[in-house]
Amino acid sequence: MPSVQPAAPKLQVSLAGAPARRPHDGPILEARDLTKRYTLGNRRVEAVNGVSLSVHRGEFVAIMGPSGSGKSTLLLLLGGLDRPTAGEVILDGEAVSRLNDRETTILRREKTGFVFQFFNLIPLLDVYENVALPFTIAGVDPRRGEAAASIQDVLGRVDLVGRERNRPDQLSAGEQQRVALARALVTRPAILLADEPTGNLDYATGGEILDELWRSCDELGQTIVLVSHDARAAAYADRVLVLGDGRICDEIKLGRNADHDARPLIARLAQLGL
Amino acid sequence: MRRLSSLAWRSLRARPLRSFLTVAGVAVGVAVLFASLSAGAAMDAAVERAAADEMGRAALRVEALEERGLGPETRDIVAATPGVAVAAPALERRTYLAAGLEVAPSDALPAPVTVLGIDPIAEPRLHDMPLSSGRLLLVADTRSALVTSALADAEGLRLGDTLTLNGAAAPGPQDFTIVGILSGEGYLPRAGGRLVIVPLAEAQALFDTGGVTRLDLGLRAGVATSDVIAELEASIDTEPYLLAVAADTTASLRRGTADLQATLLLVAAVVLFAGAFLIFNTLSMTVAERTREVGLLRAAGTTRPQVMMLMLLQALALGAAGSLAGIAVGAGAAALTLGWVGSTGSVAFGGPDLSPAPILLTLAIGILVTLAASLEPAWRASRITPIDALRPGPATSAAGVARLRWLVLVFGVVAMAAFAVWPRGAGGSTGPGTGAAVGSGLWGPLVVYGLLLAAVLIVPRLLGPLLRVAAMPFGMFRSQVRLARSSLARDTSRTALTAGALVIGLAMVVALGTAAQNVRRIGQGWLAETIPGSELLISIRPVAIDGEIRDEIAAMPGVKSVSPIGLFGVPWEGVRQEAAAVVGSDFAADGRLVFVEGNPASAFAALDAGGAVIVPESLRSEAEIHLGDILTFGTGPEPTKLRVVGIVAHSIPGDSQEAILVGWADASEAFGAIGADFFAIRYQPGLESSARPAVHAAARSYALEPADLDRIRGTVGDALDRLFHLLDAMALLAVVVAGLGMVNTLSMSVLERVREIGVLRATGMSSRQVWGMVVIEAGLLGLASALVGALVGVGVGSLLVAWSSSGLFGAFEPPWLSIVLAVLFGVLISIAAAIYPAGLASRQSMVQALQHE
Repeated sequence: MPSVQPAAPKLQVSLAGAPARRPHDGPILEARDLTKRYTLGNRRVEAVNGVSLSVHRGEFVAIMGPSGSGKSTLLLLLGGLDRPTAGEVILDGEAVSRLNDRETTILRREKTGFVFQFFNLIPLLDVYENVALPFTIAGVDPRRGEAAASIQDVLGRVDLVGRERNRPDQLSAGEQQRVALARALVTRPAILLADEPTGNLDYATGGEILDELWRSCDELGQTIVLVSHDARAAAYADRVLVLGDGRICDEIKLGRNADHDARPLIARLAQLGL
Repeated sequence: MRRLSSLAWRSLRARPLRSFLTVAGVAVGVAVLFASLSAGAAMDAAVERAAADEMGRAALRVEALEERGLGPETRDIVAATPGVAVAAPALERRTYLAAGLEVAPSDALPAPVTVLGIDPIAEPRLHDMPLSSGRLLLVADTRSALVTSALADAEGLRLGDTLTLNGAAAPGPQDFTIVGILSGEGYLPRAGGRLVIVPLAEAQALFDTGGVTRLDLGLRAGVATSDVIAELEASIDTEPYLLAVAADTTASLRRGTADLQATLLLVAAVVLFAGAFLIFNTLSMTVAERTREVGLLRAAGTTRPQVMMLMLLQALALGAAGSLAGIAVGAGAAALTLGWVGSTGSVAFGGPDLSPAPILLTLAIGILVTLAASLEPAWRASRITPIDALRPGPATSAAGVARLRWLVLVFGVVAMAAFAVWPRGAGGSTGPGTGAAVGSGLWGPLVVYGLLLAAVLIVPRLLGPLLRVAAMPFGMFRSQVRLARSSLARDTSRTALTAGALVIGLAMVVALGTAAQNVRRIGQGWLAETIPGSELLISIRPVAIDGEIRDEIAAMPGVKSVSPIGLFGVPWEGVRQEAAAVVGSDFAADGRLVFVEGNPASAFAALDAGGAVIVPESLRSEAEIHLGDILTFGTGPEPTKLRVVGIVAHSIPGDSQEAILVGWADASEAFGAIGADFFAIRYQPGLESSARPAVHAAARSYALEPADLDRIRGTVGDALDRLFHLLDAMALLAVVVAGLGMVNTLSMSVLERVREIGVLRATGMSSRQVWGMVVIEAGLLGLASALVGALVGVGVGSLLVAWSSSGLFGAFEPPWLSIVLAVLFGVLISIAAAIYPAGLASRQSMVQALQHE
């Protein structure tokens, strides 16, 4: 299946005075021989062991594996939230491991969006302010100009128009996760990383979130990397990387399908003994 | 929210109780600081005013060292010195208005007046003498007088009235006509407003003397003061004298206030430090509470400096709000402080200084201390990683442990601020009093402060055993005690921080109690050790010792001995040394003075024979004097040499130091002492109560005021009590601030244990037991802190006592009452602080608690 190109120019969020980064040709995300080791008590654990992968612009890639396979750790490494013990991550042409903390932070601000299992909204802020957080951090006034337009657009996409003034404790679990999704999408990041985004939701609500993720990829060309232990969630992806003991054991190509049928994936996983 | 900084204000608003308590704590610390600074500035201003009044426009003052005053030869030399334009002589003596002495023998003598004999031409050239009515003195005036408005109002005097002044025995009472009334209290502060000014010749006749007390000098234009000083020192060799410039007068007056200011600042620093604890603790709790949020902000692209800025903004808001509130409250506290203290010596205080300088200084220090206290929590917040946003379960561990070591930074900031505002001249006095509470210069308070900091840093290591000991009184609540102890041990750093503020507050209270008790005891013991009798007959001017007064009283039934004691100054090593003339045989008979070296009997005999001196231990240590040494006193063309025949633990206290003891022969012949300032009376055993009325009546007929030694001790004790009560009240505020911090800590602890409390309730613990658990937690913390605070306080207090009176360390007495009260207060404050959090815990819904994430 060919990769999907973005339908519209991206809104680049930069620090005042810093030049906006140009989109990179080639894979939007690359991992080369990525390794992460840490010590747990007196045990050495190798959470990720020599993983290499690439994700192209507009792709929807899922990473699956049993508990303890290292998939969440891999996602954190890919997003620059953690530093690898060895290996390299190239995000939109930037070698993340060579950047210092400040440069990594700014790269993260400009290039990535995150959706976590536990929503992670700021309780003191309302829906609009939570979604606007990337702009606020960058010093851009979220109530004016392009920023305001982007926020309204993304709130419309996640069906939260009219709820801007509500605080997180006034929202249901599904609504909170939609806020988190809107926040991740508002700056049209180079890549959106989702770690078990439906893990804390019921079946129907989880489906809504996954549908929205897929639409953003299919209609807007958003590149997505999703981690999940749930085959139903992984079935939304174009391809699935199966992780075991910190390594990629298999790659399952599913293609871009609107029906998101999980049965072929489940069957293949069964063959792998998962 | 347009800016990320708005998150800082939201965070403060989201926890209104915590923010309020923190602001209140900072406000208390800043209020005490501002009260100290403002009151101190007012004291300085009062000293400057008094010094300016004292010296007027005179550039120099030549003052007599001997009681008989500067003789005519010295006055001529001074007046003829090149560069001197005006030499204004003055004779100053205290006496009674004759009318006031017409009282019943049993009544106390009236307040004395100060008579100042002046040159009517020269004096107004150097001193302003504003009149409210009448005229100034003229050269032709004889029996004319000026009085102050204050005296006129007090005695009902008007222009043209006759004023009768008591003089020396020979001339007797003399009448003066009031020709002018000076406005206010006059330009001699130590007169206290009761000032009478007469021509110099009339004053000399009244007091039967040819000398003058001082010569104020005005210099010719362009002449340097230092040149005139050199000329005077080269030309005056007739008699010893004191030479003072305006700054010397200021320094002399400031000695009485500087130590008090320093003590106030030391206590203020402790209270401010407690406030800093509160900031440190509050922000540490905020960091722990918001770990996941901060991790999320970092994941979303917030840099470390941005996170740090958010925390520092919160601290700045709390600090600024607290400082402004504290300044407002501190203004009132400054007025109360000045009103409570009233005056020291001859300097009366006015209202507090509310000029921009102390306000801005206090604001700057308050904000600086706040920022210093918040640096470590802010830095810790900036180290939170994005991964911390993703950890399940409690996020507090990711925020790291508050490092108490950083309190050293706060200590340093407060110490530097104290150094910047430290009063000039503090730490110079010896002997009991406010100087006792401070020690030498700035080092003493720094050592005290450092000890308090060290105690706080040690607390975490002792927490376990301390809590075990503190748990003993609560033994009957075994399960709640166990849970309370485990809660306190959950975050030892936070527990130690909370306890630390309480420790330093209580330590300060106990230290002040220790100092107060021992200083009072030393002061009172001093009199018993050095005065040969049970009563003093005090005169406001020297009384001849060979006159009829002593003989008449000594002959009265029931009187065993009447011993004259005179206080005066002697020139030694270029400075004025206080001396006392005593009758050695009276001391020998009465068994007074504790000899450190030398034989008492032979020492007293040598005093009476002449050529001998007894020195106090304090002077011996300072000047390295030994038994048998010959001390040389610069008494005019021929110096006086006296042999050291004894060294005593304590001697008769003078104005600013202990006096050396000489015999009356040396005192009058070599040092110009003209009489006794008081007589020490010893009654026959069993006859004191019957003999007293007659002795008192006789004394008052000679204008001598009886003063029982117990009453003097009581007066000294009362004055010290008054001061130490003020200091105690300020130190207790540190404990209150610590209590505010405890409310914060316990509330946070309850919120962290919501699920645990739900489980306890589900298992069968009643809400009353939950309430009790939190209260016991506070009680344990309070008792543990109080025990450490009491121990540290006794140590600090003993240092204060050791500094104030060398050689008495062996006689140190722990202040048991202060210790017990401090411990009780510490526990009560802690339990009071627990009431709100305990209520929170006990009122939680079990269902909601169990569902809490």
